[in-house]
Amino acid sequence: MQKVSKLTIFIFLLPALLIFSLYMVAPIPLSAFYSFFRWKGFGERVFVGLNNWIELIGDGIFHKALFNNFKLVFLSLFGQLPIALGLAILLAKKTKTTDILKTIYFVPLLMSSVAVATLWSNIYDPNFGLLNMFLQTIGFENLFIDYLGNPKLALYSVIVAINWRYIPFYMILFLAAIKNIPDELYEASRVDGASKWENFRYITLPLLRPTIINASVLSLVGSLKFFDIVYVLTGGGPNNASELMATYMYKNAFNSLRMGYGSTIALALFIIAFTFSIIFMKVTKKGAK
Amino acid sequence: MKKTLSLVVTVSMFLVILLSVSAIAQEEIVLWDITTEAESELPVIQDAIARFEADNPEYTIRHVPTSNDDYKTKLQVAMGANNEPDIFMSWGGGPLKEYVDAGKVMDMTEALKQDDWIERFVPAGLEIARFDENYYAVPITGMRAVLMFYRTDIFEEVGVEIPETYEDFKDVIVQLKDAGYIPLSLANKNRWTGSMYYMYLVDRIGGKEAFLNAANRNGGSFASEAFVRAGEVIQELVDLGAFPPGVNGLDEDQGQSRQLLYADRAAMYLMGDWAYGLIKNENPAMLENFSFFRFPVFEDGKGDPSNLVGSPGGNMYSVAKSSEHKEAAIEFLKYLSDETAAKQLVDLGNLAPFRGVEEYLDDPFMIDIYNALNNANYVQLYYDQYLPPQIAQAHLDTIQGLFGKTMTPEEAAQMVEEEAQKYFNEQ
Repeated sequence: MQKVSKLTIFIFLLPALLIFSLYMVAPIPLSAFYSFFRWKGFGERVFVGLNNWIELIGDGIFHKALFNNFKLVFLSLFGQLPIALGLAILLAKKTKTTDILKTIYFVPLLMSSVAVATLWSNIYDPNFGLLNMFLQTIGFENLFIDYLGNPKLALYSVIVAINWRYIPFYMILFLAAIKNIPDELYEASRVDGASKWENFRYITLPLLRPTIINASVLSLVGSLKFFDIVYVLTGGGPNNASELMATYMYKNAFNSLRMGYGSTIALALFIIAFTFSIIFMKVTKKGAK
Repeated sequence: MKKTLSLVVTVSMFLVILLSVSAIAQEEIVLWDITTEAESELPVIQDAIARFEADNPEYTIRHVPTSNDDYKTKLQVAMGANNEPDIFMSWGGGPLKEYVDAGKVMDMTEALKQDDWIERFVPAGLEIARFDENYYAVPITGMRAVLMFYRTDIFEEVGVEIPETYEDFKDVIVQLKDAGYIPLSLANKNRWTGSMYYMYLVDRIGGKEAFLNAANRNGGSFASEAFVRAGEVIQELVDLGAFPPGVNGLDEDQGQSRQLLYADRAAMYLMGDWAYGLIKNENPAMLENFSFFRFPVFEDGKGDPSNLVGSPGGNMYSVAKSSEHKEAAIEFLKYLSDETAAKQLVDLGNLAPFRGVEEYLDDPFMIDIYNALNNANYVQLYYDQYLPPQIAQAHLDTIQGLFGKTMTPEEAAQMVEEEAQKYFNEQ
């Protein structure tokens, strides 16, 4: 193989590196900088020291948003991933049906988030929506569920929509990993008289471990910084009941013109997501040894 | 050798692109607004651009429309990056004032006084863009009024009349409810929809001064009696079952409020007069079953019964202070507000805020709306347009709490007042 010069590598990496630094890396110290100011996003910047951070620590809505984010993390890790894994295992067998099902199950991921949110908002519509209509048809005539307007229910309704959208992604991830497990292992275990459960427990699961960990980190970080479906479905409402850190950040920075405080939330979000993924990766690495 | 050659070619290509971009930019006026394909006013803007460019061949106008909600963010980011366009659109009021305070907007007072251009506009429309004694934008599209739309056939069937007072209004609500209808259709996910009730109630109970004194800090307060009572009345209506179940989750942008009207489930609908255009589009067969009345009065209230919630000017156009083509930009805005544009706007069902526009009106519904606006002693601009964004958000945040009864009227009023104090202390 021809030796590639360092310069060539550098030049090929440059465009991606530039875009990454400009749009991903640079905003982080910049947000940290803005978090010390009262600023509308334009015009004069007034230095306020740690005021924004003090406000954040005492801000009840931020606490609520943070808690909601953790609920989302929990329900994604223990909802999305197991279901995705189950589907992947069922679809791993190659038959005609599984090919069709694979395509069908993959559809939610192909739709844009806004379309998914609009779809679910029609499903949840309390008066004419699919779900309530269905419940009424099968006999619950007096049942009226207010999926998005009830503050106790809104967040969970949104999480169902989020899971529906992202399960196919993890399903494909797991499916690819399962396909990579050599058949010899299963053949050998069959010779040894292993049951289906034992196959899963002692071959599939251990070999999927790296994929599961990767998927978990993706799901963890994705859930902590989640924005779009919530924004379209409830806008964080009613009355902040389904507020997430990212929607609260957006509201402050762009609706209330409090760019300084919005930056503070953004940085807090970054620190939280960063810390949790580091801890998660450390813990799972230790487990591997 | 080969390398050098390709390098030279690449660099020169870049230079050509750079030069051509700057060559175009020399005579280009950039115009930002929200008239995307979805907006009916687009042809009016395009026609004004064409007419201006034909008369002023040294200029081209680059029209960049962006959809409503994205537009606000986009403009804000551009302002922050000192990258604002020559001409930009806003809705006047508090948000525009933020840009004026930041020194971003050209003072148009001189230009307006020249050749009496100022006489072209309905004064109330210009008023939304006046800060101190100076004008910073001109209104181009629609005067708007929020009205109580109702299904005439349902009113007839149930046997109720248009209510004049709040007591009558409650009667109507109870009777409609007993007849199995949802009295008031409302989709409150969006919050500005529920805010319309609140604004009317504050006005009817406390008069226009209640809001103006609170907003302008003339000894008023958002926690004063009128605001608390407005919240109480909303919750009284909630208790009467006046609103659709699940009201806080329904989405106005998806028309979930109007679906209830079309399906014969709901009878009344408090909405801006644009609802007329929407109904005409969505359900033309039912249009004749709709009419409107004014928000009822409170017998002990201070509000003038002719007062409306609405806006005496919709889309307002400003010129950026940083623009290098201020004169040409003003000239273009004259095209956008001339007789031709006025006639085109009215034909689209848009009450352009220009003097003499009534001559073009022929649709009886529009004449009614025009008269309501013309006879109003005061038009209460939407709170979220009048107030600085920070306070406006606090107000909107309380609306779902009031309709969902997760907040008491006192708490809601107090929350807005606290945000107002915080905002004004920081100024």
